[in-house]
Amino acid sequence: MGLPGVYFRRTVKVLRTEVLVLPSRVAVLVFIVALMALPIFTQDYYFLRVLILTSIFAIFAASWDLLSGFTGQMNFGHALFFGVAAYVTALLNLKLGLPPYFSIPLGAVGGVLTGLIVGIPCLRLKGSYLALTTLAFPIILTGVVFAIPDITGGELGLAGLSRLTGSRVMDYYLTSGLMLILGFTMWKITDSKTGIILHAIREDELAVRTAGVNTTRYKLLAFCMSGFFAGVAGGLYAHFMRLAGPSGLEVGLSFQVIIWAVFGGMVTIYGPIAGVFILYPLMEILRVVLDNFPSLPEIRMFIFAGLVLLTLLFMPEGLIPWVRDKIETECPRCKVRNVFSRHRCRVCDADLD
Amino acid sequence: MQFLGRVGTVLLGLSLVMAMCLPVGAVEPVKIGVLGPMSFTQGEGHWNGATMAADEINKAGGVKVAGVMRPIKLIKVDTNEFLSIPDATNAVEMAISRYNVDFLVGGFRTEAVQVMQDIAMDAKKIFIGCGAAHPELCTRVTKDYDRYKYWFRLTPINSKFLGKVDFILLGTAAAIMKKTLGIKKIKVAVVAEKAAWADPIVHISQKVLPAKMGMEVVGVWRPSPVAKDCTAELAAIQRSGAHIVFTTFSSSVGLTFAKQMGELKVPAVAVGINVESQKSGFWEATGGKGNYVETINTYARVAITPKTIPFYDKYVKLYNQAPNYTAGTYDALYILKEAVEKAGSVNSDKVLPFLEKTDYIDTAGRVVFDKSHDVTWGPGYVTAIGTQWQDGEIKCVWPYHWQKVFYEGTVPFKLPPWVVDYWKNKK
Amino acid sequence: MILDIIIDGLIKGSVYALLAIGFSLVLGVARIINIAHTALYMTAAYLIYIGTKMMGLPAPVAMVASILLTVVLGLLIYNFFIKPIQEHEAAVLIATIAVAMMIQEVFLMIFGGHYLGVNPLIDGYATILGVKVTYQHLLALGLALVVLLATRVFLQKTRLGLAIRSTAQDREVANLMGMNVTRVAMGTMAVSVGMAAITGAIVVPLVTVEPTMWMHPLIMMLAIVVLGGLGSIEGSFVGAFILGFAESMVVFLLPMGSFLKDSVALSIMILVLLIRPEGLFGVSFEEER
Repeated sequence: MGLPGVYFRRTVKVLRTEVLVLPSRVAVLVFIVALMALPIFTQDYYFLRVLILTSIFAIFAASWDLLSGFTGQMNFGHALFFGVAAYVTALLNLKLGLPPYFSIPLGAVGGVLTGLIVGIPCLRLKGSYLALTTLAFPIILTGVVFAIPDITGGELGLAGLSRLTGSRVMDYYLTSGLMLILGFTMWKITDSKTGIILHAIREDELAVRTAGVNTTRYKLLAFCMSGFFAGVAGGLYAHFMRLAGPSGLEVGLSFQVIIWAVFGGMVTIYGPIAGVFILYPLMEILRVVLDNFPSLPEIRMFIFAGLVLLTLLFMPEGLIPWVRDKIETECPRCKVRNVFSRHRCRVCDADLD
Repeated sequence: MQFLGRVGTVLLGLSLVMAMCLPVGAVEPVKIGVLGPMSFTQGEGHWNGATMAADEINKAGGVKVAGVMRPIKLIKVDTNEFLSIPDATNAVEMAISRYNVDFLVGGFRTEAVQVMQDIAMDAKKIFIGCGAAHPELCTRVTKDYDRYKYWFRLTPINSKFLGKVDFILLGTAAAIMKKTLGIKKIKVAVVAEKAAWADPIVHISQKVLPAKMGMEVVGVWRPSPVAKDCTAELAAIQRSGAHIVFTTFSSSVGLTFAKQMGELKVPAVAVGINVESQKSGFWEATGGKGNYVETINTYARVAITPKTIPFYDKYVKLYNQAPNYTAGTYDALYILKEAVEKAGSVNSDKVLPFLEKTDYIDTAGRVVFDKSHDVTWGPGYVTAIGTQWQDGEIKCVWPYHWQKVFYEGTVPFKLPPWVVDYWKNKK
Repeated sequence: MILDIIIDGLIKGSVYALLAIGFSLVLGVARIINIAHTALYMTAAYLIYIGTKMMGLPAPVAMVASILLTVVLGLLIYNFFIKPIQEHEAAVLIATIAVAMMIQEVFLMIFGGHYLGVNPLIDGYATILGVKVTYQHLLALGLALVVLLATRVFLQKTRLGLAIRSTAQDREVANLMGMNVTRVAMGTMAVSVGMAAITGAIVVPLVTVEPTMWMHPLIMMLAIVVLGGLGSIEGSFVGAFILGFAESMVVFLLPMGSFLKDSVALSIMILVLLIRPEGLFGVSFEEER
């Protein structure tokens, strides 16, 4: 037995004791494997395009959750980070000729700066005030975009960016890989000390302050982190679409991201990702299905909105937390999650029924 | 999540299978993707024009490709480009990779068309644009011929030429005003939506009007393309004492502006570009307040070519509205048919040289593509026309003996009576 | 010029005020950010179009009918989609977004993206101090004032008004005092939707009726409500006129930048909030204190 054998055995052990015992973890594993293996089965351009955009929007939705879900700083203008990063990425690529692996991170830095600029005035605001104020920023910026067409291209936007990678399959692996890595990173952040403090701010800011924590700094940090991840999504989008335009700042996009995130389940990170992976391809499935009924008017959006509405009626916490609660139970004693079919906790053997 | 993911995959797979099980006839049809925002007037124009042409061609036997008569099959591609650009790209990608379309026609919002153009070029599909006017789309052809050579623009004429026609219309209207009302120096209020395509027009008008055309520019207003209220602009324009409002509108603001201008009876004539006023619904949407608005246009019921009036009448009969320039898909199909028949193939690279050599009299004039694959403008080619709303009807008022061009059925430009009254009393 | 700005600003402000007051009521009483508020305003506009243009009803009949129908629709939405999930703030928020989108899609399906128009109730214009103002705009201004007064009287003098105010102040105590908070919320919703519908009815001849017409007023309305202070009726009223004046000042003083009027108005809102985070007339909500 050489070194590989040891690693193999260790992996199997982790799989058996930590992953296979919980349906949600199995689901994540299956999801990752399926995502990575997909191009083996099909390299269809359309199929891959839809999934690439899905991955990009999944990063975007998760970044919304990082800010709005975890700190309760409801952001109605999240498209701002996305749009700014897309423009910054496009400018760096077009004017300075930076390749995507430089322009996208720098674009994301643009997102961070935006987070700072917007975050500072917003820190004084709370609750609904904050939510409604953030809505204004992308609209103000749209005015600026139109005011300086020499730089921003006005309504045309900036087109002709260099490609993300050489091929569609590579684009796919890059975006879906990044989505998994960044999603995992965000999830880890929320699980860290910072994440716990952010969560505490959401629940009771006064209490956190009394505990001697500088809540302002943490809230600003949340704005910046969220800006960074949304910025990566914006940069990827700009390079993939080869366009950064005013449509990236539209109110519709800001609303869309809230729908994805809340539908999937806020305050989870994986909820919004799942939300995008369900809702975005759904629109395309509807497109394909409805194409067989040409007499029908355009009802995709109607079905989409109706579905979201109905789901919320039964699962107001979002789809994924609802499903998770059905298939798993939390041990009342040691707080470890168990599959619903167990009667005794898998760790401390407490009675679950 | 696992379960739902699977259901999703299965559904996607199933629907794709359904999509592939298209009825297969004896002869492979020539497949043309019609791109447009199908829930909106622009997309309706794309679809209606293309359907009309396809029906006519199929009734006559189809397209003769290398000795075989092949029917045309249209693929309706709803780009939803006004509301979502990713949606537009997905739709185009699907048309190309799922339905294997041979050609693409249509497109409207420039921001979206740029991306759709890229997708079409990646797939080496010929794409005839019928809707976006920005020169950039064709500049790309000259800059990178090998990549963008599959792109052509049929309608409208590019915004540079639109600008030229624009100033001719303005000059004509000014001459008429001078003559009938005895005004010495015409004052012009320049109102253009804040959009990059309108910038050159504004820029040139500030220079050319005082220097070359002997008019005074009393102010420049740049409302948002989607402004919902123009009363402030109108009040300011009225204060400025303008005789002519030189408009440059492609979006909904044109309708708002015209409606409120008529409602307030601002004593000035609206001349220029106002895409909204090209639509049949304009009269009703403004409640008749848009009377006397003049705009550059592509179609009217005048004999631009022998084909125009039959086309116009048939279109109105079938769809109960007048064609606007996105219905140029009608001509695009005929132009494609001609090139395909000459090439004897639907292969883009084989059709391309014949398409470049197009010299075809269509419903809007004589179509010859220039080096940048843009439709040529000028007397003897496509001129575009000027139309004015006169008591509920779109009338062609230009070219009225311009460069020896006169289309049968053209009527003189009319001044609104309240404008005449106001300036007569003023003297 | 100053006259132009004042008159134009007053008129713009009055339309915004009508929308913002209704929105503010529901926000104050039921804590619902009703994104669908302007979608209901659009519904009223479309219903009037259907009534006058398609069914040939006289304008006043169509107006009243459309207002009533819209209120019924608003109550149905509240009952079926909002009330069951009232406890989940985020869910309510996207439920109202989804409702707004559905309304937009319904009209898009029926009418397409065509721009439609309705004839004004009173044709023509008046000239006030040399500024031309359409009668319809004057009507909007007058009505905004009447509605504001009526709302005030209603809130101060009637039992329901008292209930609304007390619920707005402290939901729990109101409940403990034996008030049916749900019914109060229902009542508020009806009043609020009614005001959206009335605005739609008055404004419809002045604007273009199309399926995305709810977006722009929504943004301005939200800005006004924040500027004035959440849940404050006076605040909404004052905020509406501030933004109205700001918009017309931009057009008159900076004609080349008329397209910036939204941006400038929204920037003013943000500036005010920097100085007064609770808005002009805002009372901080109890749980956010």
